[in-house]
Amino acid sequence: MSAPAAGPAASAVWPLGRHAGATGEGRLARAWRRLRRRPASVAGAVIVLAFVVVALGAPWIAPADPVHADWKLIRKAPTWAHPFGTDDLGRDNFSRVVWGSRISMQAGVLAVLLAMAIGVPIGLVAGFYRGTLDQLVMRLTDAWLAFPFLILAIGLVTILGPSLTNATIAIGVGATPTWVRLTRGLVLATREEDYVQGARALGAGDLRLMARHLIPNIASALLVQATVSIPTAIIAEAVLSFLGLGVQPPAPSWGTMLNAAQQFLDSAPWMAWWPGAAIFVLTLSFNLAGDGLRDVLDPKDY
Amino acid sequence: MFEFLVRRAVISVITLFVASLVVFTGVRMIPGDPARVLAGSDADDAGLEAIREKYGLKDPVPVQYARWVGLAIRGDLGESIRTRQSVAFTVARKLPITIELACFAILIAVGIAIPAGVFAAVRRNSAWDVVTSAISLCGVSIPNFWLGIMLIMFFSVRLGWLPASGFVPWWEDPVANVQRMLMPSVVLGTALAAVLMRQTRNAMIEVLSADYIRTARAKGLADRAVVFRHAIRNGLIPVVTILGLQMGALIGGAVVTEQIFVVPGFGRLIVEAVFTRDYPLVQGVVLITASAYVVVNLLVDISYTVLNPRITRPGAA
Repeated sequence: MSAPAAGPAASAVWPLGRHAGATGEGRLARAWRRLRRRPASVAGAVIVLAFVVVALGAPWIAPADPVHADWKLIRKAPTWAHPFGTDDLGRDNFSRVVWGSRISMQAGVLAVLLAMAIGVPIGLVAGFYRGTLDQLVMRLTDAWLAFPFLILAIGLVTILGPSLTNATIAIGVGATPTWVRLTRGLVLATREEDYVQGARALGAGDLRLMARHLIPNIASALLVQATVSIPTAIIAEAVLSFLGLGVQPPAPSWGTMLNAAQQFLDSAPWMAWWPGAAIFVLTLSFNLAGDGLRDVLDPKDY
Repeated sequence: MFEFLVRRAVISVITLFVASLVVFTGVRMIPGDPARVLAGSDADDAGLEAIREKYGLKDPVPVQYARWVGLAIRGDLGESIRTRQSVAFTVARKLPITIELACFAILIAVGIAIPAGVFAAVRRNSAWDVVTSAISLCGVSIPNFWLGIMLIMFFSVRLGWLPASGFVPWWEDPVANVQRMLMPSVVLGTALAAVLMRQTRNAMIEVLSADYIRTARAKGLADRAVVFRHAIRNGLIPVVTILGLQMGALIGGAVVTEQIFVVPGFGRLIVEAVFTRDYPLVQGVVLITASAYVVVNLLVDISYTVLNPRITRPGAA
């Protein structure tokens, strides 16, 4: 991912920044007007919020213990007592899907935060100081990007050992170069702006320039990227767990649940329906919400 | 242009060098004696000594690295702990299966995405455009392993039309080969098709609003001629780049797809290697993947420059 449309995007001021020019219409009113044009994005955002509520409220929402096995209830079709059926160990599938949302959300959000925590400062410094340091950073990110995301994650899990924490670290590290490149590109475009040059002329130091002038003005672009990165990270966690390289049984992860479901497609298809549907709906909602957010925050589009 | 290509090639070599450093360091980050790591836990003292000898594990680390790269360039990536066969041989045996799978997937993706994307761009904001955008968004969002499971459930378990798993080489039985490759290729191709469709649509919209298209229209050329003779040729150039950039996703997708459909290819090899802690195999496979990725992207850049001679990139890295 290279710098998105450097020139015009950056010269029109990013609206989250402190330099946002006041237009006739208020910023909130404009955002609301644009949102109303995109009901699908609003629906996506609502569903994402619902998943957040489910993830946080899992202990209260799930009717049963997600790891409690019951030999009398092995692979029972959905009923009122078990709306998503039960799995091969007689555990309540609904409770497992509910708890699984917690694991997915946690892995997705933490992995992206990790990638941002490493990538944004590196990209910021590289783009700000340029020169040799920048060249060095760019060659490193090139090499980093030479490893396909999943292969890098698999390699890292091999070294670190399979667990939720290590899968999250591996996904975060794998996603980092994208953040380095994006931040660097945005900084390269923003640092030439008049207000940055003006602040420099007034004697602002490097740190102040970065913290007060650059970061606030690239923040909304980073926010949009975060919204579209989280679903990718969620799918990556599910894939690693599906392959047996992430969350280990009996913990309820959507990926491990699908792995178990594979053996019972004939006798217990409901085991495969719900965890996969949950990943699909959550990812789709994130993408819809991300599209909407891009639209709302993009100053080019009125 | 020549200067650009040389520049680009030099950068690729540097990238490969750094990538090989990363792989080399990665294996040494595994706790324990590196000789034990490379030889496997059931190796005897003689085996360990042979490994130490081959990779010079008593030498300074830079010397070890140079020797390892030297062997790798000549195609010697060590041997698998489990099978004792050379890593290069193992990979060479598995790779054609994955390449076949990838080619089918690309064929399916291109066959669906480009016509759909072009049509969506030509009939912008029509019902067709909205529907293809929605399908494309679903295609990006659907986890490929769930799609695979659902396909097996429907076409193999419920309808019994296609075998759920396995692989038959095409020279043994072409029909059985295609039957078993069909679902995996669709699963692998879906995400690619979704991305390609979006890119094709955007690229075509941009081209269709260009001056020379307006001129062609003003001359009185029919819509069809404008699209086919003028727009597509230029509109599809960026799509070539996307194909190159998507190769990483394709390899990752192959790992998952082969796992679901029990296709004995490169992707399944990686997962097996990880589970059996076959470090030399993991190391070799990761290095080969990274090299392939760099080379393909270099080729894409070259073809891009050749396809569109207007591109000059002064100073842009």
